[in-house]
Amino acid sequence: MPYEVALLNNYLLVGAALFGIGLVGFVSRRNLIVMFLSAEMMLQGVSLSLVAWGRFHNDFGGQLLVLFIIAVAACEAAVALAMITMLFRRSGKLDAAHWQTLREANQPRFHEEPLPEEFGDQPLPWPRLTPAGIQPDVPREKIDYRPKV
Amino acid sequence: MPDIRTLLILIPALPLAASLTTALLGPRLLRTRSHLPAVAAIALSFLASVLLVFQVQRAIDQPAAPAAEHRAGQGRAAQPIGFERVYTLWSWAQVDQAMPWPDQNAADTYQPASWGNFRIDIALRVDPLTAAMLVIVTCISTLVAVYSIGYMHDDPGYWRFFSYISLFVFSMTMLVASSNFVLLYVFWELVGLCSYLLIGFWFEKPAAAAAGKKAFLVNRIGDFGFALGVFLLWTTYGTLDFHDTWIHFHHTWIQTSIGVLGQTRLAHPEMFASGGLATAIALLLMLGACGKSAQFPLHVWLPDAMEGPTPVSALIHAATMVTAGVYMVARCMPLFAASQTALVVVGTLGGITALLGAITAITQTDLKRILAYSTISHLGYMFVGLSVGTLAGVVAGMFHLMTHAFFKSLLFLGAGSVMHAMGGVIDTRQFGGLRRRMPITHWTFLIGCLAMAGVFPFAGFWSKDAILLALHQRASLGGGAAVYQGLYLSVMLGVVLLAVYTFRAFFLTFYGPERIPPEAGHHAHESPITMTGPLMLLACGAFGLGAYFEWTHGFEHFLAATPSLAYLGQRAAEPAGEAGAHWGVAVLSTVMVVIGLAIAAVLYLGSREQARRLARLMNVFGLYSLSYGKFFFDEIYQALIIAPLVGLARLCAWFDQWLIDGLVDAGGALPKWLGGGFRPAQNGLVQFYALAMVLGLLVLMGALVF
Repeated sequence: MPYEVALLNNYLLVGAALFGIGLVGFVSRRNLIVMFLSAEMMLQGVSLSLVAWGRFHNDFGGQLLVLFIIAVAACEAAVALAMITMLFRRSGKLDAAHWQTLREANQPRFHEEPLPEEFGDQPLPWPRLTPAGIQPDVPREKIDYRPKV
Repeated sequence: MPDIRTLLILIPALPLAASLTTALLGPRLLRTRSHLPAVAAIALSFLASVLLVFQVQRAIDQPAAPAAEHRAGQGRAAQPIGFERVYTLWSWAQVDQAMPWPDQNAADTYQPASWGNFRIDIALRVDPLTAAMLVIVTCISTLVAVYSIGYMHDDPGYWRFFSYISLFVFSMTMLVASSNFVLLYVFWELVGLCSYLLIGFWFEKPAAAAAGKKAFLVNRIGDFGFALGVFLLWTTYGTLDFHDTWIHFHHTWIQTSIGVLGQTRLAHPEMFASGGLATAIALLLMLGACGKSAQFPLHVWLPDAMEGPTPVSALIHAATMVTAGVYMVARCMPLFAASQTALVVVGTLGGITALLGAITAITQTDLKRILAYSTISHLGYMFVGLSVGTLAGVVAGMFHLMTHAFFKSLLFLGAGSVMHAMGGVIDTRQFGGLRRRMPITHWTFLIGCLAMAGVFPFAGFWSKDAILLALHQRASLGGGAAVYQGLYLSVMLGVVLLAVYTFRAFFLTFYGPERIPPEAGHHAHESPITMTGPLMLLACGAFGLGAYFEWTHGFEHFLAATPSLAYLGQRAAEPAGEAGAHWGVAVLSTVMVVIGLAIAAVLYLGSREQARRLARLMNVFGLYSLSYGKFFFDEIYQALIIAPLVGLARLCAWFDQWLIDGLVDAGGALPKWLGGGFRPAQNGLVQFYALAMVLGLLVLMGALVF
């Protein structure tokens, strides 16, 4: 049944793309929340493949399993966000490289390479988004401690 | 009247029970009443021992006993030699055919069925020697235990003391009642342990702890020899029992083993080992006796043992435990008598020790040390008596053991009484003239001194006289007569020294101007009745026992019924004791004592200026320093034995630390170095780990695909 296979292929490709993007995001980004999002993306990619395979085999087990995965992912999200909040409160940073206590005893701490010359002392520009709604009125000193993302 | 078996079991069992009771209940329940179980049990043991002596005497007097008890009569020994009863309670260990029958002796037709069966029976024996020892031990123990009630009061370790004392009485009674070399060794060690515990009783005091350790270690050397002797006995005789064993089989009695000192062997003296083997066995056993009884090369522990409480010094380190060596040699006398060389060595060691102890005692200033050196010297006399090798000699040695137990424990307890009153001070330079403050101690101490110096008619006179007479008679026979003549002369000389140091101690303590050290405080008065009572009883013994046994010949006849001693009497006809020689020896020794007494009185009774002048004169030749420094044995041993051993230990420690440990560390260093290469991988960055996982996944997938 070429149609069915073609349909499966499409779903699998999308699932693989999701997983791949998530993987690259997880490994390359250091913001904890972005890393968490990437992990979720990988999870959803796998879930999508599961649904597709279930549909292909005409078996609802796959879809059932995915419902469970989504439920578990929701809980996980709650826990993970809570932990990230705690970490943030403790150090004011969302940088994953900030917490290195898992390393072997007597190993030197990983230090960031200094920024390339062309950036100079300029703060990194915030991403420019099309303004929508009203900008929250947050005093400048309250957001000062936010690190570079 | 309970039978012999019951009595024999009760005598050690009661003190053991008291020891356990006191140890369990003492710290919480009994506390200041901890003496009750110990004193009661030891006193009952004493009562049982006395009854036992009467039972034994009755059994000796009535030879027509039930057949089963005279099984030996049906064996090879037609007539049992002496009197003995052995009660096997249970068998502790048994290994059949532990050793094959040596071929070179295969011609020996006496091989019993159980030759080489290694068995340790918990066998108690009683014969006159054991019974006499039991009475001596329990009698002195009872009096010392009562004395300790007064002496040890208010001591924080009150219950501990009485628990140890009861344990000691148990061990000592078992030692003299055991009928097996292994049991003898076990209880030999156990009395050594009690001695260690009691020397170090005040273990907070560094000197006491060190003295306990020294006693234990020096005894190890002797016990090592004793153990080797027991091994040699085992390979020579194929059994370690003293007694023969018989089984009842089809209405006949069959002998299953020939004991080392059993009736069969005693009836056939050719069955004893002879020549070099006999000498080796006897000398190894003697090494053990040297350690326990503080004889010449190993005597250094006894003076230090005076760090223990004074009742302990009186009981263990004067009257009973240190005589265990004498008892053992007397018990094994047939083994010693098989080798003239061994007897001569025993006599020489005894003679050297007797003189050495006496010379050292003359200049010591510590009252207890004086008594300790005199104990060493008297033990030397006992060994000299035993070394004669005849019945008269052994009986003399044992007789001296008994009288010595009484007068020496009396003197020690008297010294304890003085020490108690002086607030723990025992240095004769710090007190003096105590005769008015402590009249009872003074008079009992005087009786003890007279007995120890051997003044007619006190106990020491008779026993010392018996030894001298035995030596004198032996010197008139062939076979090492010169040695015995020399021993006779040296003991005679020792008698002068004995009188001098005894009365020196007496005069220093009780005469001269009254001096009381500040430590005494309000204690400087006569001791309580629990302390003076035993003193008076012991003084009666030290006064009358010798004369009583000398006139009735009770001790001599009683001991002569011991199998291994009766054997001596059978073996060699005793030289006929001429009355003239007896009187001659007695008069000569009395003259010696009077000379010694006179010297002591001249030097120490009035002003002590002459004594100091004499000391200075003697020191011109270094004699005074030699005696005061105890012949520098401790220093010599320190330099010749301890220092090289410490050096060896240091070398071993260095070897262990740098070579052995170095090898082990090298074994650990390699994996550590290898692991070090991977350590940077653990950098603590979560993303690095995730990347490693991805790479691993890729490798795995690649492996699966290709």
